[in-house]
Amino acid sequence: MSRISSAEPVTQAPGAPGGDPAATPASPAVHAMELRKVYRRTVALAGLSMTVGRGEVFGFLGPNGAGKTTAVKLLLGLTRPSGGGAMVLGAPAGDREARRKIGYLPELFRYQAWLTAREVLVLHCRLLGLARQAWARETGAALETVGLDGRGDDKVGTFSKGMQQRLGLGVALLGEPDLVVLDEPTSALDPVGRHQVRTIISGLRERGATVFLNTHLLEEAEHVCDRVTVISKGRAVATGTVAQLRRRGPAVRLRVTGMPPGWWQSMNGSGRWTAEGDWLRVADLADGQVPELVAAIVVRGGRVEAVVPEEQSLESTFLDLLGEQE
Amino acid sequence: MVTAIWTIATLTMREALRRRLVVALAAISVALAAISGWGFYRLSHSSQVTSGESAAALPVAFILFMFMFSFIVALSASAIASPSVSSEAESGVLASVVTRPLRRSDVLLGKWLGLAVILAAYTAFVCGLQVAVVAAVSGFVPPDPLAAGVFLFAEGAVLLTLVLLLSTRMPALAAGVVGVALFGMAWLAGVVGSLGASLHIPAMQTASDVSKWVLPTDGLWHGAIYYLEPSSYLLRQLSEGGEQDPFFAAAAPAWPYLTWTAIWFAVVLVLGVVSFQRREL
Repeated sequence: MSRISSAEPVTQAPGAPGGDPAATPASPAVHAMELRKVYRRTVALAGLSMTVGRGEVFGFLGPNGAGKTTAVKLLLGLTRPSGGGAMVLGAPAGDREARRKIGYLPELFRYQAWLTAREVLVLHCRLLGLARQAWARETGAALETVGLDGRGDDKVGTFSKGMQQRLGLGVALLGEPDLVVLDEPTSALDPVGRHQVRTIISGLRERGATVFLNTHLLEEAEHVCDRVTVISKGRAVATGTVAQLRRRGPAVRLRVTGMPPGWWQSMNGSGRWTAEGDWLRVADLADGQVPELVAAIVVRGGRVEAVVPEEQSLESTFLDLLGEQE
Repeated sequence: MVTAIWTIATLTMREALRRRLVVALAAISVALAAISGWGFYRLSHSSQVTSGESAAALPVAFILFMFMFSFIVALSASAIASPSVSSEAESGVLASVVTRPLRRSDVLLGKWLGLAVILAAYTAFVCGLQVAVVAAVSGFVPPDPLAAGVFLFAEGAVLLTLVLLLSTRMPALAAGVVGVALFGMAWLAGVVGSLGASLHIPAMQTASDVSKWVLPTDGLWHGAIYYLEPSSYLLRQLSEGGEQDPFFAAAAPAWPYLTWTAIWFAVVLVLGVVSFQRREL
């Protein structure tokens, strides 16, 4: 775990429902405790602990293969944990009644190609146990929200991948779920579609729903998430608000001449160094440490040709966090 | 629970209709029935065949045609059951279904029910059609076509249930091939039993009997045969040592065997449910 957050308390997110504490259920939306998943010799999750508060838009970030989808599948009961456990909406992960209040857009979104979009939505209304008189309203609203109104009576088999992902999003929104789990929800969408997804997530936040956004797109998380957890190699390596994550130590890029190759490897105790062509990148510096650093290089006989302070984006933070795990 | 099972069952039936599987099966069955109609007409109206010869040949020909239909029923059962879990699991369709508030057992039982209804409808159609065509052109009507149809359906349902179980663990193609191969082996074991009777080799008969209990397709097929045999044909076959004929059944399946078949269905279906519940998606 990084220094940003350790064992965090259950947090109430900004924009939580209605402002009436009595109306907010006490249990967090998601609470994972040392969740582990091992596939034969591959450790997919190596003890994931995290808490997602009710009404929060929570970003679950990580590179490909970090264990994000495995975690989602465990939370939804699609797979069984090898160790640890998780509670979702106050019930053990996979609980049938809790699933009534969960909307899920899988990473691999596929729906019955031989049904129309409206029929797929009606099927899910039936599976959710919604009253028949609500089906038309629910399906109409879902189609409109995801921008498929006018295509509701077309077969899903004729849809592009992007349209199928929109449909999947519509399926996840049926029945006013308390928790919406979106696994890479914009992977097949164009920029307009991505913007619409952000609008949909904002709408869910306003309604007081919890959104668990599984993504490797940092921009997506940066725009909509109240809080994020960065996962790497099956473990949470940092948790906090986007602002908190950005507040890691400053980083600079340096161009130094007059020094033998690899000289910087001896600069212990002054940030984390990486070579990038002619440039060196130094991350995780303490505040005000840059002049000290330049002086140290000069003392060693180096000529500092350029010092470029780096704005700490979520992406650079993310890369730093992953770099720390190497 | 019942609502969820029925929702999945109707979805399965709609899929078979929408994908034109039922239409394709019906079309090929109509074509085969038409061909058989021509054959039965020739057999019953040929000047080279006496009425006695015709009366003796008609049940044999009818049973042979029904054997062909039993093969189509079994093949269809295997074909519709094999992709029902594995393909949907691999494509991701199941992930959005099983995360809804229903039990996995509802999903599997719903699929089984839907597929069984399709199979029952197809078996009823093909049996009714064949009986009607043959009766119209030759006047031959088997003694109990309804009971024969029930056994034919049960034979297909055995394979359907087994392939559905395999489909919870194996890719669609593998499940289908294994199912059909087992069906073929069970039928061959029946022939081996007839050969054993003919050659007086008890071990061959024992192997055949064991096979009938392990996979009751051939035992049920012989139930269908029995109800297609007119009493005159039955008596003649018995007097001429017909037990050695793989297309002859001397008696209807006994109650212990039918009870075992019911238990077999229950066990394999429960195994399918357990396997699907334990499957990671």
